[in-house]
Amino acid sequence: MRIEKTGEIATAALLISALSGFLLAYQYEVAEPFISATAIETVIPFGAFWRSVHFWSSQAFFLVLILHIWQCTGSMDRFCRHRKGRIHWTVVSLTLPLAMYALFTGYVLRFDGTGQAAGKIAEHLLLNVPIAGSMLDRMLMATSTEGLNRVYTVHILFTALCWGLGTWYHTRRVIVGRKIFLYTLTAVVITGVLIHAPIDLPGQNLHLIKGPWFFLGIQELLRHMAPITAGIIFPMIPLAIVALFPWLRKRSGIYSALAIWSSVYIIATVVTLAR
Amino acid sequence: MTRRSLIKKMLMAIAAALCAWPVIGFIMPVRYRPPRKVLIREKLPKGSFLIEPEFVLFASETGPVAVSRTCTHLGCTVSFDETRKQFICPCHQSMFHWNGKYISGPAQKDLPRFEVKTSEDGKGYVVLI
Ligand code: HEM
Ligand code: FES
Repeated sequence: MRIEKTGEIATAALLISALSGFLLAYQYEVAEPFISATAIETVIPFGAFWRSVHFWSSQAFFLVLILHIWQCTGSMDRFCRHRKGRIHWTVVSLTLPLAMYALFTGYVLRFDGTGQAAGKIAEHLLLNVPIAGSMLDRMLMATSTEGLNRVYTVHILFTALCWGLGTWYHTRRVIVGRKIFLYTLTAVVITGVLIHAPIDLPGQNLHLIKGPWFFLGIQELLRHMAPITAGIIFPMIPLAIVALFPWLRKRSGIYSALAIWSSVYIIATVVTLAR
Repeated sequence: MTRRSLIKKMLMAIAAALCAWPVIGFIMPVRYRPPRKVLIREKLPKGSFLIEPEFVLFASETGPVAVSRTCTHLGCTVSFDETRKQFICPCHQSMFHWNGKYISGPAQKDLPRFEVKTSEDGKGYVVLI
């Protein structure tokens, strides 16, 4: 698939995610997160459908964004000729951590067993960051003092920032062809009807919680390493490589570094899955 | 770098800090919340226990003991295994004795305890969180 196509699909998925997210927000209640999410899933007409659409369009956005970035690394000469292009790349690459955090906070918003644990772990990891820890926690999580208020705010704020970076800054306008939009919507709706968005029953996982799929590797590493190493420094490595790619791309070690990182991450993920 | 561009950079940094100050100053404060009291309206027979969302209350030989359910590793809520009389954390499987003493896993530290008092009417307990 061509680069332009994956960019368009990512934009379409983000649009569907944001629209379905705003729809869910009409029945979602931050003060009663789990109860309202369960109500959406079980009793509110079309609730399960819209949760699924939101869930799958969000996953699609994240995955297609990674694919898009990966494809673009293949034609770096285009971006890297001038310093301005390199800086453009670094700024646009911020969509990756933003999208990841939007996705992550989505799981926390659901606030089932998995969501609660994810929120608590994220808060402790942020507080473990030297010097800036409590500021990062106040900005991004703060569940222990603020409930889900800030998580909800950041979920929407980061979506807006992704949208702004990807359209206003990156392509200067919204590029989504009608066809691409319809294909993406169809794929999301079919997946959503076939596979519901998950939600844990109360007391379902008292002895073993498996976190969101992209977090499983970190979860395993947290069993063996200091929180700051496993939860902050390790996941920052690929994000930093992507952000600094225009400056690092001529270094020979960079692809092996990414390959080693991915292998470790996949193995750790499989180990947690097998528990 | 010329002196001119250095001064320009420094002015920009100062401007950025001036913009960040009111934002961070607004975000950081934690609104005051008084310590919470959890009222338990029953007297537990010796040797029994009661599982609450934030702690487990044990009626031990030496009096009531409230052990926090917040894991000392990364804060997940630990479960109480009633048959083995142990706490286990669902996130990274740290284990603790019923009294909060650390057994194994990445947590390393004991679970803290909350202060427990007999309630005013004498028919239950007050746990201060
Ligand atoms: C303006 C945009 C958005 C709004 C207003 C919004 C709102 C919400 C709400 C209210 C929920 C809780 C619903 C529930 O769990 O039943 C939720 C969950 C979720 N959100 Fe969003 N969201 C937005 C954008 C995004 C984006 C961009 C992503 C991903 C990158 C995302 C990922 C998720 C995920 C994975 C969940 C959990 C799904 C579930 O289990 O229901 N959201 N969102
Ligand atoms: S949070 Fe309990 S073991 Fe990690």
